[in-house]
This record gives sequence, structure tokens and C-alpha cells, in this order.
Amino acid sequence: MEHEYIIAHADKSVLKITGLEVKGLNTKQLEQILADKLHTFVRVIGVTGENIEMDVYDIEPEQVRKNEKGLVESIVLTEGITVTDLTKISCSDKIVEVDYDKIPEEPISNCARERWMKWK
Amino acid sequence: MDEMEMKTAYILPTGDEIKSGIVLDLDAPEIMCLIVRAFPQAEVTRLCPLLDIEDTIFQKISEVAEKQPDLIVLIGGSGGGHRFSKSLGKDFTHSALEKYLDECASHEIYGKNGHMWSKLVCGRKGNTTIINVPGPFDEAKAAFEAYLGALSQGKSLEDISLDMANAVLAQYPTGAAKTV
Repeated sequence: MEHEYIIAHADKSVLKITGLEVKGLNTKQLEQILADKLHTFVRVIGVTGENIEMDVYDIEPEQVRKNEKGLVESIVLTEGITVTDLTKISCSDKIVEVDYDKIPEEPISNCARERWMKWK
Repeated sequence: MDEMEMKTAYILPTGDEIKSGIVLDLDAPEIMCLIVRAFPQAEVTRLCPLLDIEDTIFQKISEVAEKQPDLIVLIGGSGGGHRFSKSLGKDFTHSALEKYLDECASHEIYGKNGHMWSKLVCGRKGNTTIINVPGPFDEAKAAFEAYLGALSQGKSLEDISLDMANAVLAQYPTGAAKTV
């Protein structure tokens, strides 16, 4: 079996919306609404019945945080989302670069991040 | 499979959130559309979404492959998922595929934070080609379009996998990428 690794050099943060009611979410529409609002690139990476987790690229997390009210208002129109009084938006700091030369090899885990954390 | 012919294809979405209807399955209809455009005579079946359980995925791949279709496409569960964040789904399609396939090629896309963003596997079992694509719509579409493009050029599994990985990579706003 052939395996190759490609490293994507992109800055991203994780944008999380909690306190929602989600059913029949149109992820494509949500990504487009938030991309238009934030003027950047957004990707839905995890969804439950109450929360949505997204990657947002090339943006300062503070810019997302200070725009919380506007973002909540903008997602109201998304198919499959009901905003509640408990709806909140949080945004993590940007990802931290790791040194790939110092990541242990498998078989500890298939995930390099996990291997790196265990090594660290 | 004849590079220029596809008679039967199965689309197999994965993900607890897809199965429960929390998230609409936009990918399967798009992939079905792409197959039908490229192969108007193809019979394409979208199967019931699977939960994110490695053994469930493995068993279903085995069951579907016994029908000897030309193509099986698994959707979603291609990243590091739960291995990276407890709040993310469990990603098992790539590991289930690698356990099942005798012959395969794969490419892994990592972020600079060391997290595996996506692992694309392309392999064969008998006359059946089996691939996976990521869950996000744009990535799934790009990966599958790349697959069809590579297929039409008669490329090897390794080159098909590379084309698919590059197509997914192109969906990220990356300044640079390197292969290691």
C-alpha cells in the first residue's frame, strides 16, 4: 500500500456555535452565509443537535468574537437552524504549528497531532 | 473496471448526524449527479447512511462489494475527528477501507498543527473500485470530480489518489503545501 503525506499551511481557528436547535442543516448554505459575513473561508466540521463546529481560515479570532451578535443574527436564515436564547458563539485561538520532524512515527496513533501530543 | 465505463455504483454516506437527519446529505445527490453526467447508463444507488462505527462501515463495505459493482463511494469520516477533538465525530471510513482493501493507495492531508484533516483512500477489491471522499460538500465534490477526471485518463490508483488529495487541498486557502 502506498501512503503519502501532504501538509497544508493554512491558518485557522475553530468557531463554535452552541445553544442551537439543529435539524436538517444545510451546511453549504451556512458556510456561505458566514463566509459572506466574515469575508473569509468557513467549513463545517462537526454538528450535533445543539452545536455546530466550524473551521474559519485566515481571520483573527478576536474579529469573530466581537462580531458575535451579528453572526447569530445572520445564521437565523439558515435552513435547519433555530436560534434560542442560549445561542452563543465562541472562537478558539489560531492553531499552533508543530514541528513535524519531532513527531513520533506510528503505530502510537494514526493522527500526527495525537502522536505529537503524546511525545510532548 | 473499464476506464471509460461504469455500470453500477453505490454511494455510502457515513455519519451519525447524517443518519439522524441533523445534517442534510447534500453530497450523495451531487456525486450521483456527477456519475450520471459522466456515465448516462449507470445505475447509481444511494444506501442508508451508516453510523460512525468502524466495524459497521467495514461490514457494509464487505456486503456491498460482494455485489461486484464498478464503484463504491464512501462519504465522510475522512479526517482525524475524535482523535483530535472530543467534540468532533468519529472518523473511521479510511481505517475501515484500509482494513478491507487488498490493494490501495492513500494520501493524508495534515494541517500545520499536526492534525490529520483528511485521508483519501483509493483501492480495488476484485473488479470493484472503492474510494472515500470528505464530508464537506465542496471537498466531496472536488475529490469526486478529480476521481472521474483521473479515471477517464486511465490513471493508476496512486495517481488517482494523488489527484483527489490535490483537489481537496485546493479547497483550503493554503499558501503552500509540501509532500513528505
